[in-house]
Amino acid sequence: MAELVLEAYENDFWKDVDNRKTWDQIIPGDLRNTKPVTLTKDVIGQFARLIGDDNPLYTDEEFAKTTPYGGIIAPPSIHIVLMFACTDVTDWMRSPGTINCGQSWFYNIPARPGDTITMRGSALDKFIKKERLFAIHENVFTNQHSQVVCTGRGWTIRPV
Amino acid sequence: MTVQAEFEAIEAGAEITGRPFTVTRETIADFALGSLDFNPLHFDDNYMKESFGKTQFKGVIMHGMQNFAVITRTLTDWLLPKGGYHRRLETRWLTPVYLGDTITVTATVQRKLVTDGSRWVVFDIAVTNQDGVRVAAGEAMAEFADAFPGAPVN
Repeated sequence: MAELVLEAYENDFWKDVDNRKTWDQIIPGDLRNTKPVTLTKDVIGQFARLIGDDNPLYTDEEFAKTTPYGGIIAPPSIHIVLMFACTDVTDWMRSPGTINCGQSWFYNIPARPGDTITMRGSALDKFIKKERLFAIHENVFTNQHSQVVCTGRGWTIRPV
Repeated sequence: MTVQAEFEAIEAGAEITGRPFTVTRETIADFALGSLDFNPLHFDDNYMKESFGKTQFKGVIMHGMQNFAVITRTLTDWLLPKGGYHRRLETRWLTPVYLGDTITVTATVQRKLVTDGSRWVVFDIAVTNQDGVRVAAGEAMAEFADAFPGAPVN
């Protein structure tokens, strides 16, 4: 399985802008194209540092062993990067001007180094409110044992 | 202390205040690489002068999910020594956070509940900026279970 390497991803969201679904083209229920990624201890520590979470639970194996987790885990918020890591450049969450209004997530069991995470994602709903175009996306992340890591949904305003 | 004793010692109304987080171009660039979210809303000053339908911005904005990360840090730092497990977080962004802003998370224990299988704490979440303006609000939930949900499977 492909190990997650953050630097390997395209960082210009204008490329492929014409290959992404617009609000009109998004069909609630249609699955987004996704691919599994494998989390390494390095990328978990890098993610925690880059998002500003310095709890040693994510970087210090000796400390993590003393906690109820029994070892290093990924931060619960790892879904923030998994959303982009598991989708490709044509995914509509990359459309420039996508405005995030809020999200809700349930955490089942933590992701750990070596876990291969699979994403299932779709739009759940789309609607118009005060002349703004909204889409709700919903996502499930599972590990290599088919255990649910987390589930969540987010509300976005789509670019016009 | 046992997990049950830790749970019983938590009082409704108790406030947990996180460490302040100040937004700079560096924190935004770090978050972009960390999250792989390279939306120009967070980088491109000229792009942000355009209009976004009914929405207007004063400049580049912090990733909304940075709120999520700072809230999660605040909760985990507090829960971990008590044996509590971060189960859920629901937030909505109320107003954009701009370069130079400093945000602080407050989690307030709203209620405790014992169910058939476990013990739960519900938190009200507020994120405020340096002017006291609420930029995000929501709820979180933690579990204080006898069998720790995150224990290794093997």
